Amino acid sequence: MSSALRRLMAEYKQLTLNPPEGLIAGPVDEENFFEWEALITGPEETCFEGGVFPARLTFPPDYPLSPPKMQFTCEMFHPNVYPDGRVCISILHAPGDDPMGYESSAERWSPVQSVEKVLLSVISMLAEPNEESGANVDAAKMWREDRKQFYAIADRLVRKSLNLPLN
Amino acid sequence: MRSTLITLGSVLLTASVIGNAYYQKKQFYPSVVYITKSNSSMAVIYLQAFVLVLLMGKLMRKVFFGQLRAAEMEHLIERSWYAVTETCLAFTVFRDDLSPKFVALFTLLLFLKCFHWLAEDRVDYMERSPNISLLFHVRVFSLLTLLGSLDILFVNLAYHTTLTKGASVQLVFGFEYAILLTIVINIFLKYALHFFDLQRDNPWENKAVYLLYTELLMGFMKVVLYLTFITIMMKIHTFPLFAIRPMYLSMRAFKKALNDVIMSRRAIRNMNTLYPNATPEELASVDNVCIICREEMTGNGSAKKLPCNHIFHISCLRSWFQRQQTCPTCRMDVLRAPAATPTPAATPQPQPQPQQPQNQQMPQAQVLFAAQFNPMMANFLNFPSQNATTSQTASFSQNQPSASTSPSNFSPPLFTFPPFMPFIGPPPPMPTPPSNLNQLSLEELRRMEGSEREAVEARIRCLQNIKTLLDAAVMQLQQYNTVVNSGNLISASSRNNTAEQQEQQRRSAPQTDPTSSSSLSDTTINTNASSSPSDIIRQRRLQRFSQTQVPVIDAKSNTVVESASQNDLNSDSRTNESKSEGENSKKTN
Repeated sequence: MSSALRRLMAEYKQLTLNPPEGLIAGPVDEENFFEWEALITGPEETCFEGGVFPARLTFPPDYPLSPPKMQFTCEMFHPNVYPDGRVCISILHAPGDDPMGYESSAERWSPVQSVEKVLLSVISMLAEPNEESGANVDAAKMWREDRKQFYAIADRLVRKSLNLPLN
Repeated sequence: MRSTLITLGSVLLTASVIGNAYYQKKQFYPSVVYITKSNSSMAVIYLQAFVLVLLMGKLMRKVFFGQLRAAEMEHLIERSWYAVTETCLAFTVFRDDLSPKFVALFTLLLFLKCFHWLAEDRVDYMERSPNISLLFHVRVFSLLTLLGSLDILFVNLAYHTTLTKGASVQLVFGFEYAILLTIVINIFLKYALHFFDLQRDNPWENKAVYLLYTELLMGFMKVVLYLTFITIMMKIHTFPLFAIRPMYLSMRAFKKALNDVIMSRRAIRNMNTLYPNATPEELASVDNVCIICREEMTGNGSAKKLPCNHIFHISCLRSWFQRQQTCPTCRMDVLRAPAATPTPAATPQPQPQPQQPQNQQMPQAQVLFAAQFNPMMANFLNFPSQNATTSQTASFSQNQPSASTSPSNFSPPLFTFPPFMPFIGPPPPMPTPPSNLNQLSLEELRRMEGSEREAVEARIRCLQNIKTLLDAAVMQLQQYNTVVNSGNLISASSRNNTAEQQEQQRRSAPQTDPTSSSSLSDTTINTNASSSPSDIIRQRRLQRFSQTQVPVIDAKSNTVVESASQNDLNSDSRTNESKSEGENSKKTN
């Protein structure tokens, strides 16, 4: 059994035994531990409050030496999330490659990180977008210039994620 | 569904074309001629051939792979687009001999390439999957055998065609299949590594190392192949534009593999030699879970402690160092830091002098120690922490109340001593001289003497070491001297205490402006005369060794001081420091 698989199993066990607040994560099916599904809730007192956002985590065969990839499977409008749902935060980038050219290596991926930490960082990213990273330029621009409309879009996304009627 | 329709349509079209031809010509041969002469019929036939190839591919996929995973499919499509583009580029190079056969060969190449990629992905999947069935092994093994033999066959074919008919398109195919052959070998090696890993119950520590070396070797082979290919193509045809991208990619991969191998080797060597094994006590004091694999660490030499005190499994560290040469927790660069870190495993070097600076970042405690041990030494060493030094000097003088009023105690900081020559390490062990020199033959003597450059250099080095040691000893003796003689000076200083303090202030003047006072010019001359370090050393050594006992400073012998500046061999017992003091006392007198 590869060390990646053992570590993923250990993390799955840890997440199941002590589930952190606001997130659920686990393999899509137990045959393949390298594809996970996660549900994260929008942080309180932000425009994403109350929303439940599904995402997919893909782990490389050499996990935890290389970072996993994360992609929202729902619609998401956020400065640090690409329009196709891929999450762009420094904790998910291996030191060395720097797609946005601003990240210090101190906040990059290292084996010390875990699924839990990644998801918690994503939750805090939802609360506080990093304006320097322009994964979604439209969202970044709106966040800076027209906060009201951004909140309106976020509210729509939250309602959509909960299957509530859009008002 | 759509593909079934397309297949059915093409089969129907072909059937109608053939049926039509046979209906018109009634015989086999005329129908074939009719079909080949008619462009529209040929188009249908080509289409049918293409569909057949696709069907064949599907069949092979079913046989060798079963259901493709989504990631594999995505990967395949992405790579196919590049391959198709490059094939079209290749067509432009060989537009002169563009023929159906040529296109067919390229299609076949593309077809086989796809299977190579799929095989690669599938073998990579082995690492992730918790259970691998026997069917998987059978499939991978037979596929690799098939692909390998096909590649060899085509390489052979291309080789013979080129030999018999001269350079042609076959050259391109030859190289393409050779590249594919390296891919097959690479996949096979990976498969073998994964296979052995699967047979084990616990993770195989060295697997990552082997994988790294496999990558390096294959990268090298690819780069060599591409370079040869491009040179040959440049000579025969033209610049092979279609080979640029894969060549660049393989070169980059090779460079990365090479870099990884070098850096990780260095980091792993550091780990093996410099870092201590974590002891059970250390493991107990911290959380004993290795943060990389999230499994427990036991104390029996399976865990290592990095210079930053973070503890990990050796195997986990090894595989991490193949990516990054930093501490996973605090990101300390292990390649830059380790030399400066004192670890128990590092050989403790016996230092002949405790006050030697061991490295640039000399601990404060050591500075204090040196200052306490020998305040003068502390001054000579030019410690960055001036405060600590002066405070130490102060405390030193407080320890000896008799000396606190003595001007000699303040002289060392004022005396401009040449920068102290730092010890690089303990002097090399000197050869032990034979006990009986008479027994040496002439030959032996000549050999010992050595007339080569190295022998002379070694001798000079040896003498330099002796010189440094002697200097240190001299300085210590001076310090003792000052302490001993401070009692003598007290009588004078107590009388002229206030005057001396004034003098002290004036005394510093000549060093900045020698002409300010003619009465102090002697001091200036004195320091000037002995400004060269070797002069000072020689002078002091001669002074020191011309006397058998600890000399006594005569504070009032002004004439001797002056003559000392003129005559190095003068047996004046005093040091330069005390000389300036002597000048001082002379004036006060």
